[in-house]
Amino acid sequence: MRQIAIILNLWKATVIQAMEYRASFVFAIVANFFDFVFGLLQYLVFFTAAKSIAGWEADQMLVLYGVFMLVFALHFILLYPNLAAMGEMVNSGNLDLLLTKPVNAQLIVSFRRISLEELGSIGTATLLLGWLLYRGVIVFDIGNFALFGVSMVSSLLLVYCVFLLLICLAVIMERLDNMSQLLWSMFALCRYPVDIYPDRIRYLFMSFLPVAFIATIPASALLGRSDSATVWQGLALAVFAVLFCSWLWRRAIKTYTSAGG
Amino acid sequence: MIAMFTADGKLAVLKAYFKIILTYRGMLLIHGIRLLLLPMVLASAWLSIEKTAQNPYSDSDYLLYYLLVPVIMNLTDSRIVFKFSLAVKDGSLNRDLLKPFPPLMGYLLESLANNAMQLFYLLPFSFVFWLFVRDRIVLSHLEPSLLLYFLAAIVIGGMARLAVSGSIALLSFWIEDVTTLNLILNGGIWALLGGMIVPVATFPDKIRYIAELLPYRYMLSFPIEIFSGRLAPAEIWQGFATALGWIAIFSIIMRLIWKRGLKTYTAYGG
Repeated sequence: MRQIAIILNLWKATVIQAMEYRASFVFAIVANFFDFVFGLLQYLVFFTAAKSIAGWEADQMLVLYGVFMLVFALHFILLYPNLAAMGEMVNSGNLDLLLTKPVNAQLIVSFRRISLEELGSIGTATLLLGWLLYRGVIVFDIGNFALFGVSMVSSLLLVYCVFLLLICLAVIMERLDNMSQLLWSMFALCRYPVDIYPDRIRYLFMSFLPVAFIATIPASALLGRSDSATVWQGLALAVFAVLFCSWLWRRAIKTYTSAGG
Repeated sequence: MIAMFTADGKLAVLKAYFKIILTYRGMLLIHGIRLLLLPMVLASAWLSIEKTAQNPYSDSDYLLYYLLVPVIMNLTDSRIVFKFSLAVKDGSLNRDLLKPFPPLMGYLLESLANNAMQLFYLLPFSFVFWLFVRDRIVLSHLEPSLLLYFLAAIVIGGMARLAVSGSIALLSFWIEDVTTLNLILNGGIWALLGGMIVPVATFPDKIRYIAELLPYRYMLSFPIEIFSGRLAPAEIWQGFATALGWIAIFSIIMRLIWKRGLKTYTAYGG
């Protein structure tokens, strides 16, 4: 409870800080809006030369895009600002300061900051999905929606794991810039359904490198094309991954010998 | 005599840039992986599509295309938008203006050094990709003249990208944040109509016509189309003419903006 109160207060502080630079905040929102539009146009352009991709029609690809943007925007709001600040934090020695405080360091490092610039994308993604529901591409079905909810939870947990791995890497290497670039590279793999890859790579993406569960499986669940076993398997995988990465974080902190100063 | 001196000066600056870039080797490695990843995803996507009737590309064409996309992207890349707007903001442009060296030349040399070094970190990955797909790629049509056209197209593509990016970058004299403008003009349209998402040759006729008129095709798709042997010499020359026309237009725009901008520039930062 106390941890949550601390995080909420930190969030309040970052929002107030962001509001000091209102013009650049508006700029960022405009940029993100164009990013969303270009992402959408990308699929429209793609389908001028293709009828379907690995069994996904244009409308179904839009569902995938909506889900993808939802996950991407949530990551951008909650995790990205923390990742961006991590390199500097290790470099300047501020991490030492944080480790001495009587709080859960993993929670604070992960959720210290928040960025509201992508809030528009969540709205637009929801609108897109709503429109697809209205048009009957997504069929309203409690079972499917429940599976979608579960798979979204696993998706966000898995993104958090990648984030935590990069944070650990930053602590170990003591100097690592542009980690967000690495994270975004992973997101490039999620823009298209995993069905496009050769069998062996697809198997890899469903197991050891579970990128399939980030966007493809939630979108399939929403479309009623995913069986519940796969969805629950994804959740189990995600929970295991979070536990494993948290263990890695504790290991990394134990071997950390301080940097900067 | 003077010409010789400036030539030497440029060489020294170029060498300096090479050394600066070499200190960020880790970044080059990460960027190399990034350059390769999206084209590989797109190649997989294109290999698993159900084609429309007018689409002329076969699987072999798509593989060759996306094998070359990262290489061309790398060679025609320019970071002038980020570098120049930063130089205006933090005031390092003031120093560059005082030096007895053309201020914009530095950006050209920086691009050259960066792209050459980056290529060094990209080719091993591309080679591995090629090993996996080599028996599905047809290269028997290659001949020396085609390779010459290919190299010329890359140089022209790099110049076109530099001219368009440079024009956007110089707007930093008036606009504080040019990255949004760059995202639209140089990132978005380039990806959509330049041949990143969809090879330009596979567009329906109307869209292809527009794409061939815009400068973006010549920064990415055009050299690969030449390499794949799908263009007749007349089409190649037509492409060169269009691209050179755009380069001329944007060079003039750049010059005008530079002259006017320098007058309004009051040097902040320090």
